[in-house]
Order: sequence, then C-alpha cells, then structure tokens
Amino acid sequence: MTSKQSRDRILRGDPNTPLWVGMVALRLVTYCFAVVATITHQPDYQRPWLSWVMLGGITAWTAYTVPAYLRGYGRKPAIVYTDVLLTCAMLLTSLWILAPEHYILTPLITTVWASSAPVALAVLRGWPHGFAAGLLVAICTAVARGVINLDVTRDAVLLCGAGLVIGMSSAQARASAEQLRRALRTEAATAERERLARSIHDSVLQVLARVRRRGNELGGDAVELATLAGEQEIALRKLVSSGPQESGPAGETDLGGRLQMLRSPRVQVAVPGAEVLVAEEVASELLAAVGEALTNVANHAGPDAHAWVLLEELPNELVISVRDDGPGIPEGRLQAAEAEGRLGIARSMCGRMSDLGGSVELETTPGEGTEWELRLPRPAGQRRADGKGAKR
Amino acid sequence: MTETPISVMVVDDHPLWRDGVARDLSERGFEVRATAGDVASAVRIASAARPDVVLMDLNLGTASGVEAILAIAKDLPDTRVLVLSASGEHADVLEAVKAGASGYLVKSASAEELVDAVQRTAEGDPVFTAGLAGLVLGEYRRMAASPESGDEAPRLTERETEVMRLVAKGLTAKQIATRLKISHRTVENHVRSTLRKLQLHSRIDLVRYAIEHGLDE
Repeated sequence: MTSKQSRDRILRGDPNTPLWVGMVALRLVTYCFAVVATITHQPDYQRPWLSWVMLGGITAWTAYTVPAYLRGYGRKPAIVYTDVLLTCAMLLTSLWILAPEHYILTPLITTVWASSAPVALAVLRGWPHGFAAGLLVAICTAVARGVINLDVTRDAVLLCGAGLVIGMSSAQARASAEQLRRALRTEAATAERERLARSIHDSVLQVLARVRRRGNELGGDAVELATLAGEQEIALRKLVSSGPQESGPAGETDLGGRLQMLRSPRVQVAVPGAEVLVAEEVASELLAAVGEALTNVANHAGPDAHAWVLLEELPNELVISVRDDGPGIPEGRLQAAEAEGRLGIARSMCGRMSDLGGSVELETTPGEGTEWELRLPRPAGQRRADGKGAKR
Repeated sequence: MTETPISVMVVDDHPLWRDGVARDLSERGFEVRATAGDVASAVRIASAARPDVVLMDLNLGTASGVEAILAIAKDLPDTRVLVLSASGEHADVLEAVKAGASGYLVKSASAEELVDAVQRTAEGDPVFTAGLAGLVLGEYRRMAASPESGDEAPRLTERETEVMRLVAKGLTAKQIATRLKISHRTVENHVRSTLRKLQLHSRIDLVRYAIEHGLDE
C-alpha cells in the first residue's frame, strides 16, 4: 500500500514539496527574529507605532502564506510575486520607522525575514527568478540603508546566492521527478504487456494447441481446421515473444523470461525461479546464440528431435546449455562446413560469445545428440538472487 | 492398467481445457472421478472422491492452486498431486512442489506425455520435468547464495547436483544412469531426495513461522 501511495505521490504530487517545507520553516524562524528585533530596538525607532503596524503586516502575511505554501494552494506565480514585492515594500518602510542616525546599524524592520520571499520564488520558478528576487531585496536593503558597505554587500551575496542555489535544486528536482514519472509509466506499460502475454499463453494458445491436437486425431475435414489452428498458434506465439521488449529500470532484462519465450512443443526451457537480470544487449546476444543452436537442431537433428535449454546462475557465471536428442554431429563435419567457407553456426556462436567475454563448448557423441554450453562470466556481486524468488 | 484403473481428478478453471484433458484420460483407460474449477470445490470434492491422482492447474482464476495442494496433502496422504501448469508461473510451481505436489508438467505436453506422467505419479515416482529440475536447481542455488538462510539451508550433494543438471537438460533416468554409470534406482533416489529436502525445509520454515507467530496447534 505504501509503495502505491509513494507511486501516486510521484505521479501526481509536486516534487518540490520538501523544498516548500524548508522555505516555510525558514519563514517561521526568521519571523521570530523580526518579532524580537522589533521589541528590542524600539528605542531606535522614530515612529514606534509604524513598527507595530509593519510587524502586524509581517505576522498577517506569514500567517497567510505558511498554510498556503504548505498545502500547495499558494504555490502560484501571482502569490509568490506578491510575496516578493510586499517584502520589498515593507522593508522600505524602515526609512520612516528608523531614526535617520540608526539607518546604518539597526536591523531593518523585516530583518532576515526578507530572505524567505526570494527563496519562495526560487522554489517556484527556478534560479533566474530566485537570483533576480534576491537582487531586488538586496537593492531595497541598500536603498533603506542609504549606503553600500560591507554588511549590505554581504547580504546581497547571501540573498542572490540563496535564490540561485535553491532555484537550481528546485529545477533539478522537477527534472528528476519528470524522469521518474516517465520510468514509472514505462514500467506500467511493460507490466501490462507481460500480463497480456501471460494470459495469451494461458488461454488462447492452449485452446489453439488443443484444437490442433484434437483435429489431427479426428482426421478428415478436421485436419484442415487443425492446420489453421496450428498456423495461428505459431503466429501468435511469435507475436507474443517478439514484441518490443521494454527494458527494466537500469536497462536490464530478465534473461529467464526471455529464454522461456523459445518454448515450443519441441523445445523445453528450464530456468531458475528468481529473475536473472542482465543488460539488454547481453540478453539479445545470448538469445541470438541460443536461437542459432536451436536452428541447428531443427536443420540437422531431424524433424523429430527435441531440444532442452537450461539456464543456470552460478555465483560467478551464467551457463546456458542447449541439448538435443538428435543423431549428433559426426566428427569433422563442423570443421568441414567451416572449411567450405559457410559461416557455420559454430563460428557465429563463438563470435557472439567471445564478444561478450564468454565461451562456447560443444559436446557431441554420434547417436547421443549434441550439447552446446554457453558460459558467460559475471563479476561477483552482480547476482541478485533475492529478487523474485519463491521465498516464503 | 487392467483391473483397477487409476482414478483421477482434474482441477482447472478453463472448462474447454478441463473437459479435453478429462476426455483424453478416460479414452486411455483412466477413471476420471471428478473435476473442479476452483480451490474451494477442489478441496471439498477431492476429500469425497479420494482420487489416486489430482491434476492441478495453478492458475485458478483469482486463487492459486497451491492452497488446494496444501489442503489435499494434509487431508489425503494417499492422494498424489501432479501440477499441470502453463508457462510463466515459476514461483507458483516451486511453491506447489514445496507444498507437497509430486510432479509438474507443462500444459503443452502431448497426450502421451500426460498419460505417462499420471501413471508414474500414481506409482509414487516424482514426475520431474526438465523445467522443474531447472527451478529446483535455481532454488537450491538461491538459498546457498542468500545470506539470510545461513547454514540451515539444505544443500545438494555433488552427485545430486549432477543428476539434477542432467534432468534439467532433458535426459531420462535411464540415460542419466548410463552416463553416470550408476543404477536407474540410484538416479531416482537422488531425484527423490532432492525433492524431499526441499519439502522438508519448507515444512520446517512453516513450523518455525507458526511458532514465532503463536499459531502452533
């Protein structure tokens, strides 16, 4: 359930919500500064009443924006731009509140609270807006102070810097969320495709296989029906197995699942229960190599030969065995084929496997079939045995 | 198959498939004593019909046949369960075997293979297809590699692994016996012990789970 909730949050929610929470915390903390500063600096003010009015304004605006930003209904350009302008305007009233001899040293009426508005704009619109808002607040500070000294410059650097950095991280969060959204959508589409493929395997293919078998047993006109059903069965099986394979989150695919698609009345496939994840390109090459071995069975071991494909995941290598019960390859025939210049399966398979850094072994005894063993070393730790095993 | 025919029950939620299999089997001299399409009726009917062999599909609509296998293995110790499943149900097949099924056959198997499998199941031989051997090998290796299972996880002897690999490559017990120069009986014993260790381990797991969660009977 929680994973579904987090998925919903990713799909629909605002990826910048954590940044908004941080911004609200900043506003609340800096608000406390404003309150304390207003109380303690009363002697420096020429119009104490105006300082209370402004503190009231700061309080009201903080009270309005905190829930508005937290719940999300305030995360709109109109409100956030207003936030920045209102902050600047309140900051400038310091000119009428502070006694002129205190312009330079006494904190302005908004104190550090003024930094929260540029941060809000940075979260909403990214770094150019955040930087500009920081600069605007800095300029107002300079105007209110009437000088450009070390303090004013430092404030300007901090305000612009905050707008810049927060703005960049908000844009980054948005971009990552978009990528994640796309990945989740792809994943959902893949899962749906697999579900369809499974249910076709479970139902339609079974019925077609049944019709074909029964039709051939009955003979007569039913044989034609059986042939038609058989053709459709093969076509559908191909369609299900050769559809575009979407890859997993890291471009990985379950080799076991892919090999199983090779299953047919003449080919049995044995794989472990847990997923065997390999890179998409590696899976395609291995599948092509196995496909060549199976084609070889069909071409040379006779129409009645069966084949078995076994996938094993050892701690540091993958082993795929392809065995048939045909007559076997007479000694020297592979070499003869190669000598004739025909691109024999042996060369093509060995080429594929050595490109991947693996090897091929052939074992054949006349009369006892042929067995190919494809080995692909894998660095330790690449194994992910606890994926979808049948662990209770 | 002369005096007393082997009695069979077919459990599958697909009527066309269920009736087809039932007909195939009765045409070849088996007594199809009952059929069922869901877990609840499968368990109920099985305890009344007491067949020698239950042919169980694992994909029964919303429920899994594994539950039915657990119930049948508990109530009817003399009834053997042969799983007849479509491809792509790995975790389920392993669970079924751990629950007490004594064999597994893919649905694309021919009628002759089906008849042979039912006969062997009735005689008490595990029907160990290449596919199931691959799953079991993978499961043993998964347990060996998984850090949590530690030393308690059952392990295959070198010979058992060798036999299991050959089964997974489609060799018959006879061919394996010839290749390893051991007797046909020894091969079958290796296969049986491989299966038994897995079932026992899963039962120990279940009991431990029950004790830890206060469900001890």
